[in-house]
Order: sequence, then C-alpha cells, then structure tokens
Amino acid sequence: MRCDELLGLLDLYLDGELPEEMARRVDRHLLRCPACAYEARTLEQTRAMLREAIPPAETSPGFRERAAARLLDAFADRLRPAQEVEGTPQWPLPFLREE
Amino acid sequence: MAVVENHRESAHEKRLVARLQAGEAEALSALFELHVDRVFAYARHLLGNREDAEEVTSETFLRAFERVASFRGECPFRGWLFGIARNLCYDRLRQPRLLLLEPEEAERRTDQGDGATQMETRALVRQAIAALPEEYRLALTLCDVEEWDAREVAATLQKSLPATKSLLYRARRALRARLTELWEEEEPTDDAMR
Repeated sequence: MRCDELLGLLDLYLDGELPEEMARRVDRHLLRCPACAYEARTLEQTRAMLREAIPPAETSPGFRERAAARLLDAFADRLRPAQEVEGTPQWPLPFLREE
Repeated sequence: MAVVENHRESAHEKRLVARLQAGEAEALSALFELHVDRVFAYARHLLGNREDAEEVTSETFLRAFERVASFRGECPFRGWLFGIARNLCYDRLRQPRLLLLEPEEAERRTDQGDGATQMETRALVRQAIAALPEEYRLALTLCDVEEWDAREVAATLQKSLPATKSLLYRARRALRARLTELWEEEEPTDDAMR
C-alpha cells in the first residue's frame, strides 16, 4: 500500500469501517511508515481530546416527559387513539414488522 | 447491513408520518421518541447551552406536527424536521439577549475535580472548535462526540453521504491544525514562566 492510498483510507480505518483485510494492510503500513503513523496518531489524539472536552448532549431530568406531555396536550383535539382499521393487511413475515 | 437498517428505519418513519397525518396519537409519541434525542443533540451543539436547546427541541416538534398535514414526503421526514430545528436555532442565535452568558454546563461538569493541565487542555479544545466553521463543528460533534452514523449526520445536514464524509475529513484536520496553532501560541508563555 502506498502512502497516498493509506491517507485516503485513514478516516475509514479510524472509524472502524474498513473490511478486516484492508484494515490489516493499513496496520502493516503504519508499522513501517513513521509519517503515516504520525498522521494517524495525531488524528486519533485530536478525536480523543475532542471527546474529553465536549461530552455528549444530555437533556435535563424530566425534559422528555414534559415535552411529550406538552405535545400531546397541544394536539389533543386533533388526535385519536390508534384503532384497528378494517382491512389492515396482516404481516406475512412477522420478523419484518417493526412496530 | 447499515443500508438495510437505514431503509427499514426510513420505511418505519414513513408509516409513522402517515399514521400521524391520519390523526393517531401513538404515532405522534413514536415520532417524538424516534427523533427527540437527535434534535436535542443537534440544537445543543449548535446553540451551546442546554436550556435553549431544550426550548428549541420542544418548539421544533410543535411546529413540525402543526405542519405535518402539508408534509408530502418529497424529502425524508427527518431532514424536514431538522430543517425546522435549524431555522429555530438560527432565530435564537440572532437574539442578542439569549447569547450565552454563563459557562456551559459541560464545562462545569467536566472540569470538576480535574487538574489544571486537563482543564487547560479542554479549554484549548473548546477554543479550537469554536473557531471552526459551523458546518465543521456540527460534523465533528455529531460524528465524533455523539457517535452518530455518517448516514444520520448526512440526513441531518441534508447532504449526501460522500459530501458528509468529505466534510468530516476536512473538519478533523482543521481541528487538528487549529489545536496545533493554539499550542504553539501557548508554548512561549509556558517557557517564559519557567
């Protein structure tokens, strides 16, 4: 693998999205090539520092419940409970049913 | 596999929208549950504080459900929903009185009990990311902090998957470059103090 090939694959490699065989080729190149290894390491460090500095977004306790209740209240006059509609097709393959 | 899951999720979403348009209360709750965390995360990273993000999230769903009867499905529902969220975020950012005046809760939380060096490093990273274009910030926070799949980010940003990956590629390198610059600016000060 050449350096320019590796650099084009580096984000996929760091994201764990490369097929195993390709990831092994990248591993082998990174062991042999200090410049590409540096590129990979600094990108990885940058991401680790970003995650350390900015935690995932978290709502305040009870926010979801309050927001859901507000919505249902706002649309109460326009909504009705789900009903079995006559003629609703049955699922021939139950594993396809998502609800 | 991810493509299949994406397709199934999209089909599920379409059915929920049709049921909501027919007036089913359960469909409203299900659509809210399906998207509330992502809408909140998007608003949180765009606005920089939780309180505004929660208000925008609530308002986004109110507006979307008010207008759902006119939604024709010409684009994915989630893209349409995030379009509403984006407009509401920009409206809020344009209001000077609502500019952030207090430290982010993220800073307060993560800085508790840590050493000075860790706090400085975090401050530097926040400074670096704040200096990036908004599109870069969103791509980085949604992909690398929230760990959304690139397809989800693409749908949210209303971009193609290759365009989103390219954006993320540039954003990661821009953040690294900005961080390097900031460190180089800091170093002479450190030396002078020794």
